[in-house]
Amino acid sequence: MAGRAEFLERIRREVAKTPGLFGASTAPRPPRPAAAAEAIRRELAERWPQALDRFRQEFERVAGVFHRVPDLAAVPDTIAAIARERGARRLVTWDPAILGFDAGARLAADGCAVVAARAGQEDEASRLRHRADAAAAQLGVTGADLVLAETGTLILLSGAGRPRSTSLLPDVHVAVFGRDRLLESLEQVGVMLEDLHVDPDAAMSGAMINFITGPSRTADIELTLTRGVHGPKEVHAVFVEAP
Amino acid sequence: MSEGLLRTTLPDRAGAALRDTFLQQALTIATTKFIDLRRESFEGFPQGEALRDRARAIKEATLQHLDVHLERLADNVERLGGTVHWAATAEEAREIVLRLARDRGVRMAVKSKSMATEEIDLNEALEHAGVTPVETDLGEYIIQLAHEKPSHIIAPAIHKTKGQVAELFSRELGGRFEADPEVLTAVARRALRQKFLEADMGITGANFAVADTGTVVLVTNEGNGRMVTSLPRIHVALMGIEKVIPSMSDLVVFLAILARSATGQKLSSYTTLVRGPRRAGELEGPEEFHLILLDNGRARQIASTLREALYCLRCGACLNVCPVYRQIGGHAYGYTYPGPIGILLTAMLKGNESVRELAHASSLCGACKDVCPVRIDIPRMLVELREHLDREKIAPWSERVVFHAFRRLLLSPAAFRLSARAGRWLQRPFVRAGRLRGLPLLLGRWTRTRDLPPVAARTFRELWKELR
Repeated sequence: MAGRAEFLERIRREVAKTPGLFGASTAPRPPRPAAAAEAIRRELAERWPQALDRFRQEFERVAGVFHRVPDLAAVPDTIAAIARERGARRLVTWDPAILGFDAGARLAADGCAVVAARAGQEDEASRLRHRADAAAAQLGVTGADLVLAETGTLILLSGAGRPRSTSLLPDVHVAVFGRDRLLESLEQVGVMLEDLHVDPDAAMSGAMINFITGPSRTADIELTLTRGVHGPKEVHAVFVEAP
Repeated sequence: MSEGLLRTTLPDRAGAALRDTFLQQALTIATTKFIDLRRESFEGFPQGEALRDRARAIKEATLQHLDVHLERLADNVERLGGTVHWAATAEEAREIVLRLARDRGVRMAVKSKSMATEEIDLNEALEHAGVTPVETDLGEYIIQLAHEKPSHIIAPAIHKTKGQVAELFSRELGGRFEADPEVLTAVARRALRQKFLEADMGITGANFAVADTGTVVLVTNEGNGRMVTSLPRIHVALMGIEKVIPSMSDLVVFLAILARSATGQKLSSYTTLVRGPRRAGELEGPEEFHLILLDNGRARQIASTLREALYCLRCGACLNVCPVYRQIGGHAYGYTYPGPIGILLTAMLKGNESVRELAHASSLCGACKDVCPVRIDIPRMLVELREHLDREKIAPWSERVVFHAFRRLLLSPAAFRLSARAGRWLQRPFVRAGRLRGLPLLLGRWTRTRDLPPVAARTFRELWKELR
């Protein structure tokens, strides 16, 4: 079996045959990602209302359901309403410390079982319990680390207290976010991704980033659009007005 | 196991496709719909053209230093706790996956859609080794249950009716299911959800791999890509070496045009960035992450005829617009990669001999080049490929003789004039309804499936002389 050195040597030989044939360049990169990211955040601090309108428009176009609440205290009621409407009795959520609210008590009042992930739990027993809970849940509640207006996309980083499956296994996914998460363009997302990776160990605790643009969908049988083939059938975005 | 050279001929396979009335209808509906969706999505996206140029430039530049980018990718994946494997051939790639499966006691592997795993015939190899591979993309799942091959890069089961799918599911999964896409999708969801939770290994391809960060990127609509990279304890990603890109800034350029070209979406439902195995503090994610870098004939094209085919994003746009693909569909091509780009990829991976017939399955109209998100000059490469086939004497002798004679004719004005006169006289018995029909010998095989206009009563050259 060819080793790395041999494999790369073969490629090096081929590459050497084409010196200067193609004077192409890669995409321009921000020389100082942190500064570029900060500049975008400053611009968006002004322009977020337009970005939010665009997000709503694009998100609804991909069958997302948009909600707007005045502050974090109002979020549990909104989640309870969605759960009631969808008949969800079992919920999983990201760590309330990350979300900034705890919907547990409010939903328990409706007779729903809520299991919240907690950063710091990672032993085998919690792992197994978590998987069973996530697989049985009908509704998952997460935050959104970046929200991309031009495509109606929610971007979630995995990590401690922010399991990947919360936005994947339940039938209904609810993501809660504030104005500081809004971005206008994929180009800006590129800058943010560059910034996150300058020191990924500091910026992210997990190994996965998911861009979520509407519910899971397929058109594999006679090109008929069908939602919820493996992932959620419904995605809700809850915008919290208070900064 | 490996597909090697085919036993049937292209005209046989194309003929079968042309007689299949459902396939004909499905192809027309599917390709027309994809064309419309793509066009609409680019119409409302003025920066699209510049982004396509940019994407092409990124591919060119990356290929120029492919060794450097691959090394960086490998170093970063290893730094993150992943393992990198180097597979020069399809066989080596299969061996690597099988060894991993054997050593770790894997009984079932769930797969998200990957053309690279199709290319190396991984499923058959796994089955031989006692590992059950489960395709989880709905289209691929249908194809796998039916023991067939995908007919379209992004819509693998477009050749099947919902009635056929209902019958298939009823037989294979036990039950009586209505021929309703909604119902059938729900059936597959239940069956496959269990598999995701039980499988020991998740196998994926890669749409992109970012060298700078060691990130493998998967683009899916169904969410199966997320399942297979989140739930099983081992994740194996297999990627062709040309999928590497330098940075996250490059990634967003491709994301902006990939889904638009494939399905007309602004972004696919899920774009998943995987950075090695799960990290300390994470409740989920694989314990092990393996990246297999596959050459399989790619490297030798870096400085050769098919270089541009290494830019391909596998979006399928060139299939939809191709007048040949629209008629004969994917199966008739006979190999993993169908359509105009598929001919070039087949030549790359299986050698020129394998496209002896396929190199001609194109009218060179150029529609493929127009829609390609990275503007791959497919017609130019097809012409060069035909030239190779002739030079290497791979093309059939009859074809070589005819074309060489034709070349002579075109190079000599006198011979051309003479042949026009002779043709006018010789064609008389065969002109029917303004077309040449039923020509004898080799020419007859040409006119059986093609319209050949007769030599005009007065040629252009004669008319031109009079006008002057």
